[in-house]
Amino acid sequence: MDIPAMRASFAKASAAGDEAPLYFYSHLFLSHPETREMFPVSMAHQRDRFFAALGEVVTRVDDLDALVPILQQLGRDHRKFAVLPAHYPAAGASLLATLEHFDDQWTPELAKSWAEAYDVVATVMIQAAEAAAEQPAWWEADVVGHERRAIDIAVLHIRPRVPYDYLPGQSLSLETDVRPRLWRYYSPANAPRPDGLVELHVKARDGGPVSSALVRSVGVGDVLRLGPPVGHLTLNEDADRDLLLVAGGMGLAPMKAMVDQVARHGPPRRVDLFAGFRTEGQVYDRADLERLAKDNPWLTVTLAVSDDPVSDLAQGAIGDVVLRAGPWSSREVCVAGPEQMVSHTVARLREHGVPPQRMSSEVFAPSRPGPSVDGEVTE
Amino acid sequence: MTSAPSRPGNADRGLTPADLQQVRFTRASMLRPGYVDTEVDRVMHRAAEELGRHMAEKAQLREQVRTLQAQLNGAPAHVPPSEQAVRILATAQQTADNYVAEAEAFSRQVTGEARTQYEEAVRLARENAGAIIQAAQEAAARLTGPAPDGSDRSGRSVAELEEQVAYLKAFGQAVRVQLRSYLEALIDDVEAEWGRADPAALPAPARPHGQRTAVAVESERSTTFVGNTTADDPAGEQAAVEGVTAAGATRPAS
Repeated sequence: MDIPAMRASFAKASAAGDEAPLYFYSHLFLSHPETREMFPVSMAHQRDRFFAALGEVVTRVDDLDALVPILQQLGRDHRKFAVLPAHYPAAGASLLATLEHFDDQWTPELAKSWAEAYDVVATVMIQAAEAAAEQPAWWEADVVGHERRAIDIAVLHIRPRVPYDYLPGQSLSLETDVRPRLWRYYSPANAPRPDGLVELHVKARDGGPVSSALVRSVGVGDVLRLGPPVGHLTLNEDADRDLLLVAGGMGLAPMKAMVDQVARHGPPRRVDLFAGFRTEGQVYDRADLERLAKDNPWLTVTLAVSDDPVSDLAQGAIGDVVLRAGPWSSREVCVAGPEQMVSHTVARLREHGVPPQRMSSEVFAPSRPGPSVDGEVTE
Repeated sequence: MTSAPSRPGNADRGLTPADLQQVRFTRASMLRPGYVDTEVDRVMHRAAEELGRHMAEKAQLREQVRTLQAQLNGAPAHVPPSEQAVRILATAQQTADNYVAEAEAFSRQVTGEARTQYEEAVRLARENAGAIIQAAQEAAARLTGPAPDGSDRSGRSVAELEEQVAYLKAFGQAVRVQLRSYLEALIDDVEAEWGRADPAALPAPARPHGQRTAVAVESERSTTFVGNTTADDPAGEQAAVEGVTAAGATRPAS
């Protein structure tokens, strides 16, 4: 495998921008029409993602130790798209055709390098998918509750038809028949329960096809498909340090799951939950949070608003509100929310003396079709 | 012999398994038992020919299968799509994507604007509600106790207003006590003077004098409270004092 030459040829294709993935998918769909139905109607986001992911693979192809876990995760995750081992050579042939099309100095040696590299990638992905074959490729879940809590926020309760196991703080991908082939990530707002119910918090993004449908079109009786859980924002099970949980907006969901985890399984620890919103009208889960704080003497809940001067709630950016209520230097800290809120809060807490290894954080960005290879999770 | 091989017309049709099964050779003669050897020879010959032909055909077919198999394995499983086809599909997909993106952008814009308007409407409604509540509280304060007049209605919290109400009540109480003792001293004085001049004209109780005087003070000092206080209201005296204190209300606040 001539890796520098491969990078050079990949650079030529990516210089063509959207043209290259456009060519790849057209070639794939024409040579294997059966693959078309695995993709959404609009391919725009898909194309961005495909080349980004491929670029990631190419740049790390000489560092298999780092690449293999990513590929295994990708391979497992692709099962929910109903990808079969037979599809891999098809995609490989179209990839080579694409690279050849955009490279005026294409050689048989280069083709051989790419074919070999692709074979490694495909083999790792297929093996990972086969290793995960004992669990379902996806889980069907019935919507059993749908509550509009604000003009653009709904709380859904879903019940998977077969048991679905995850850790509090993880996210799951889901697809609805209303928006076929569009998978989005959401974080359950409860720890796994004996009755299997999963609570999801969904905010309709302006123009967001899936989130708007989940808030406005999906209702009780509809069926969602779930992919396997992903994400790294989880509690260290052995630690029993007191917790500080800081949520911004919809980042509340994983934090509430962690509160639920402590309530169900311990170990006993004090938990202080801070949840920041822009206005008081957006505090969509107030009754439940207040009930939790009332029922559990070890829990305090502080709600804050950053852009609502007439509200009685605590005022200011949630990071500042947290700092005012300190000290927190002995706590284990979890932060989830929009990017700016997370970076501000983490920076403030670091200044305050919380060691970085005791802080975990997750950015809840507006919906993307899936996690990046680094495990970025979306709302 | 009773069967096909005996008929020359059937020779080019080929030898079928049925033909062979139906072959019945005639016995040569009583002297030489067995089949007529010319007939047997003819059938054997045709059978050999037929077998040869089948074997050749089989070899040819096997060869054909092999070449096809090689084609299938060697070359790509199927003809790659033509450049033109790829271009047409790419353009079609891109056009579709643009329509979807446009629709999404439009939806984003419309919902965004709708949400902004909604938030603005809610904000205005909340401000209105706040103003109404504050006005109601002020009106309530005006009915139950001293309240500031027009000049400083806004910008005060309920707690501040309550504090002020309490202060004004105490202030009013003090003024009322002072005023009463002053008036009583004055009446005593007047009565003493008047009594000396004409003891018969002296009125019996001192109390009505106080009330009358108070109403006089009220009409001088305050216009706003007159409407709230009927002339024979037993609280008239207090209302008068409120009138006095209301005039000085800005002082303690500042």
